[in-house]
Amino acid sequence: MLNLFFPALVFIWQQAPGGRMSDVSNSITHPDISKFLVIGALLFIIGVAGVLTRRNIIVIFMSIELILNAANINFIAFSRYLQDTGNANAVAGQVFTVFIIVVAAAEAAIGLGIVIALYRNKETIWVDEIDLLKW
Amino acid sequence: MVLSGWEAVFFWVFSIAALFTGLLMIMARNAVHSALFLISTLVSVAALFVLAGAEFVAGAQVLVYIGGVMVLFLFVIMLVNVGAEERGRGQLFNSSAQVTATALLGLLLAIGLVYAINQGVKGLNEPNRRSDEMAGQRTAEQQALPVSATGDMKITADTQRLGSSLYRYASLPFEIASLLLLVAIVGSVMLARTLKQEAAADDVDPEVLKEVVTTPEERAELESVSR
Repeated sequence: MLNLFFPALVFIWQQAPGGRMSDVSNSITHPDISKFLVIGALLFIIGVAGVLTRRNIIVIFMSIELILNAANINFIAFSRYLQDTGNANAVAGQVFTVFIIVVAAAEAAIGLGIVIALYRNKETIWVDEIDLLKW
Repeated sequence: MVLSGWEAVFFWVFSIAALFTGLLMIMARNAVHSALFLISTLVSVAALFVLAGAEFVAGAQVLVYIGGVMVLFLFVIMLVNVGAEERGRGQLFNSSAQVTATALLGLLLAIGLVYAINQGVKGLNEPNRRSDEMAGQRTAEQQALPVSATGDMKITADTQRLGSSLYRYASLPFEIASLLLLVAIVGSVMLARTLKQEAAADDVDPEVLKEVVTTPEERAELESVSR
């Protein structure tokens, strides 16, 4: 049913002056800053879903790294936007991204040290079995 | 910023690869597979950085994340025993109610964020030039860059600008970051010590040690260290 109507819809969209179809194809062939932001947002959501659903604490840590990288995409995209508009300190976003990478490395080192200490004491890496503070 | 031509093609290839491998990362049963999928996600994101004109950050991402952090992750995965999960006995996700709630939250977040981005980008006053004009200007700028030693590539000024900005505007945060890394090194060494190593460092209360050490093997091990 949809296949019957689809060519007609495409025809109508293309006929409209400055129509929706040409907008869509233009935004696909010329991705702008909003596409970078959408990719960053989707990666962020994937990371949040990983943190909330997985039981393995190491995979949860990897999801946190993914969340940090999604934030980095936003910083880089806005840095490029500022460069194109001729801002004075246009690479501030890149500088901040370098700091985020530093903090992520420190966080991973400390977090994995905690995981090893936890495994040595509790013999498990599944977060729902680590419930000492729950009563 | 408007990409065009092959840049647009590679943008879509790498962004779809990043999303796909990210999804596979949170769904993989084996933690080693998860780590390898995360590595492919990080490579794709580094390629997106290159497309956005941030060559130094892309290089730092590959060196620090993939060369350092992910190797650390793989070491820890192989140190702790994940056999039950690999053999398919252990449950992979939390309770199904929590998974359903997360899926709903993710869907709401996706709709809200995409709507907010599309509304917000209209407010950014992109320079009102046509996209092909801007791409032409970008290409002209790239052509004007100095040639590398072999003669078939150009040298960008990106790293130079980033370095001067780092030391000019962010020198205090730079020093604080180095201190943070030092604290992280010391902290992870402290956290990952065994009981034997802690006793050898001679900073454990003997009373506590008596309580902790219960089996004869551990006591013998401790004796051999303290002498």
